[in-house]
Amino acid sequence: MIQVQLEPEGRLVELSGTKTVLGMLNRLSLRPTMAIVVRDGKLLTPDRRLYNGDALLVRKVTSAG
Amino acid sequence: MKCSRCKAPAAVALPSHHSGFCEECFQIFFTRQVETAIRRQKMFTRDERILVALSGGKDSLTLMLELHLQGYDVTGLHIDLGIPNSSEKARKKVQDFCDLHGLQLQVLEMEKEGLPIPDVKKYVNRPVCAVCGKIKRHHFNRVAREGGFDALATGHNLDDEVARLFANTLRWDNAYLSDQGPVLPASDGFVRKVKPLYRLSEFETANYAFIKGIEIHSDPCPYSSGASFTSHKEIWGELEHRSPGSKFQFYDGFLKRGKPAFAMMEHENGPELLPCRECGSPTSAEGLCGVCRIRHSVQENKAKAEQQG
Repeated sequence: MIQVQLEPEGRLVELSGTKTVLGMLNRLSLRPTMAIVVRDGKLLTPDRRLYNGDALLVRKVTSAG
Repeated sequence: MKCSRCKAPAAVALPSHHSGFCEECFQIFFTRQVETAIRRQKMFTRDERILVALSGGKDSLTLMLELHLQGYDVTGLHIDLGIPNSSEKARKKVQDFCDLHGLQLQVLEMEKEGLPIPDVKKYVNRPVCAVCGKIKRHHFNRVAREGGFDALATGHNLDDEVARLFANTLRWDNAYLSDQGPVLPASDGFVRKVKPLYRLSEFETANYAFIKGIEIHSDPCPYSSGASFTSHKEIWGELEHRSPGSKFQFYDGFLKRGKPAFAMMEHENGPELLPCRECGSPTSAEGLCGVCRIRHSVQENKAKAEQQG
């Protein structure tokens, strides 16, 4: 189980069975260049592995008006 | 994935450049893209004074910081739109950012200009986003002109430019297609406008802002039902995913091969500009410019409404 803090919505999402950043973005219907992904204050590329208990920040990049 | 430059673990993957970078090398890449934009488009020199339009979002703050770090003479301008529960947050982000980095900032309050956006929304019978954009552009130019700035820089990135070009192309809007680009030279009371981030995508500026620890104002405007061009950006996001580099090819191709033809057409048929009778800003209308007319309209309709109780 991983926890995802979605910005700018401020929503918390829990996902299970996702092994990579790319898999997690696919579950959220996001393309890799549509959001930045952060774990422990560090940016992650789509190929990075995810682990049970990870807490991620996913910040969408498109300006919200 | 390894950094294309130093082989450390990559933090940012950039399919359109067939590259990935660690945080340190990404900043070098970013700086070089801005340097290339300024040099190739002859945007400004280190001797010139640049006014940077600051909304509080990631792009404008990123632009301000990057130009400052590159040694340019920059002053920020934030327009406080007077929207309850929104404008004060954006203004605070901008002020805190400029304080933190020791940057010069001017704040212009629309309330004092007789154009608070809530009143515009209430008393002007036109889409508020279009009118608000017009008001902001008008005041950015006026402050730049009256302050003797050589250029007005905005944080428009590649995604913004592509979405706008796409919208203008869908409508075949000759006037807009004739002057869209990263540089709009000074003319007829308009200060030179430049977009130093035009080579960088929204994803790239978001990564830069995160790495630099820039605290951004990301709340959507309460008056907008979604950002302008959002659906176009989504379409282009998908195109870019399937064919990395499409955005830049489309925009760069337009600048090299499309824009000159539209510019020639508009040069032959474009309207004559004269100074506004009231504020001196250039206008194609007789007498008053569009923003002065909006101000009068707000004042008149507000007075009528107050009389009627």
